Amino acid sequence: MTLTATKPEGKVLIKGNYAIANAAVIAGCECYFGYPITPQSEIGEFMSGKMQELKRAYVSSESELASINMVIGACSTGAKAMTSSSSCAVSLMQEALSYATAEELPVVLVSVMRGGPGLGNIYPSQGDYNQATIGGGNGDYKLIVLAPGNVQECIDLTYKAFYLAHKYKNPTMVLADGLLGQMMEPVTFGDYPYPEVDDSAWALTGAKGRGRRVIRSYAPSADDQCVFLNKLYAKYALIEEKEVMYDEYMTEDADLIVASFGSMSRNVKSAVKIAREKGLKVGAFRPITISPFPNKRLKELSCSAKKFLVTEINMGQMVRDVRLAVNGKVPVEFYGKGVGSMIDVEDLVDKIESLIEV
Amino acid sequence: MATQVFKVPDSIIKDMTYGFCPGCDHGVAIRLVAECLDELGLKENAITATSIGCSVCLYDYLDVDSVEAPHGRALAEATGIKRARPDKFVFTYQGDGDFASIGLGESTHAALRGENITAICINNTTYGMTGGQLGPTTLLGQVTTTSPTGRNVEYYGYPIRIAEHIALCEGTAYSARVSLDSVANIRKAKQAIKKAFEYQLKGLGFSFVEILSTCPTNWHMTPQKAHDRVRDDMMKVFVPGVYKDVLQKV
Amino acid sequence: MSHIEIDEQRCKACYLCIDECPKKLIKVGEKVNKLGAKPVEFCDPKGECLGCAMCATRCPDMAITKVFRG
Repeated sequence: MTLTATKPEGKVLIKGNYAIANAAVIAGCECYFGYPITPQSEIGEFMSGKMQELKRAYVSSESELASINMVIGACSTGAKAMTSSSSCAVSLMQEALSYATAEELPVVLVSVMRGGPGLGNIYPSQGDYNQATIGGGNGDYKLIVLAPGNVQECIDLTYKAFYLAHKYKNPTMVLADGLLGQMMEPVTFGDYPYPEVDDSAWALTGAKGRGRRVIRSYAPSADDQCVFLNKLYAKYALIEEKEVMYDEYMTEDADLIVASFGSMSRNVKSAVKIAREKGLKVGAFRPITISPFPNKRLKELSCSAKKFLVTEINMGQMVRDVRLAVNGKVPVEFYGKGVGSMIDVEDLVDKIESLIEV
Repeated sequence: MATQVFKVPDSIIKDMTYGFCPGCDHGVAIRLVAECLDELGLKENAITATSIGCSVCLYDYLDVDSVEAPHGRALAEATGIKRARPDKFVFTYQGDGDFASIGLGESTHAALRGENITAICINNTTYGMTGGQLGPTTLLGQVTTTSPTGRNVEYYGYPIRIAEHIALCEGTAYSARVSLDSVANIRKAKQAIKKAFEYQLKGLGFSFVEILSTCPTNWHMTPQKAHDRVRDDMMKVFVPGVYKDVLQKV
Repeated sequence: MSHIEIDEQRCKACYLCIDECPKKLIKVGEKVNKLGAKPVEFCDPKGECLGCAMCATRCPDMAITKVFRG
């Protein structure tokens, strides 16, 4: 697939993976480093041609370890740089993500989830919610994680990922899944809607006319590290205050709120519509930033709703965050399946009916 | 009127003292790197990526922009830096464990891609910072904390000859092995580092210098005896020389 | 006149320079520096120093900070 124009006019029908890749190009991504893995290989394939055409940096790296560390290197110079990968290969990047948060670098990573654990399979899954929001790297750190629910959001949140990564100097992940990566929808690209962030105060450019700069994570003293961690966590608090995003549908008078993220939210919305037609007071809630998580809003909703249902294509991961946000005020049920296509709308409606009847 | 023939290089941070053990050749190697940066006027245009081990301390001593890499990933980061900013002078300073064990994939592929960067690798046949364990270059028979009766083939296999390995990669412009066992060899080592730097400036591809170096503390030797070991044992297995030079057709 | 300057606070007492000096003009001093080491001293009463800089080239700690020749 090739988009001949980088910024196509009007609506185009496009796959999620290509949408992410082209949005990154429009966002001004200067460097792409990647290693193939299904179901996101189209991102690297698209970038291999487009970045060379535009005389930007592209490396087909030897491993995901190398990819993410190449992104770190490029980001240390203030460049907009990214990699993309999937589930079992994102596992290989956890160490570097820990370093990148400690080094406060604007790494952008797109993770298109597939089934797990282990090699799993290439069917869609949301089994890496924990991997994205908690992570497997060492130490106290957080990523900013944006979860698109449709192909248009794949574009919008890729733009946003570059902006937030640079604004907060924090690694930022776009967490899509195999369904979003492979499906086609009509979208518009438009222009990159965010201002460019000035990196001149910290980027490595060679120590000409100024003192040298060192970007490091190593902290020889415990006291210094405490100061740094407090600063890092103050930044996370600020991000939570300013950047939390969520989508709500008919929650005002809802007795039951169905929470989901990413592509699963599409069927949830349809099920809520049908349930409403049946006179059931049900609403839908979808975190768009899953890190930081919309704790505050869920806490508010737990004052009006009587029950929550969390649906995910995994064995129950986001449900933990919803339970923490609701903090025991109302029951939080889980309805999921491990891997594969989204739960059917009919099954969701049945589940909603069973919970409201009780 | 006497002329000054030696000074602390400008590329060394003022008034610092190395944290290395007495007699450790890291100090010599870093000074040589600094002298080459001075002589080629690179200090203000250089960016280094340093990895884990004693080599990471480079950023406390060298007065240039630096980014720290996870263990073994310095050449991946250096690749990212150079691809993002091709006008910058980019080099790594790594130990043998970092370069040739955990990072061998990154090292080999940076060389194969012909990344226009320079890698300096200190080979002291052990993991120094962690207390002298067996590494990829530990010699057969060498006693370390994890080869208590000496390196044998049955349990540990063979050490790697790094400069020869890198020379086999098509993208390598220059690969040399030097030693710091004597003043004469220190002077040769500096010429090799300078040449590697110049090859990057000429855009010839990947340039590499392996430096045979001492770890007196973990070898349980005096600094003098440690240099004897470099000469008598290491240089017989890791033979100094130029293994690839695209301009000299070596 | 050829001579060297030693920053005794940087000397870690590896004494590699002592062996290196062709005129044997460097010896172990009596003082103890902040590192707890007995730094070397330059002792050249007859003005024999060649300014060859072999000591400074060998020194791993740049404790020999300057060498002058001539």
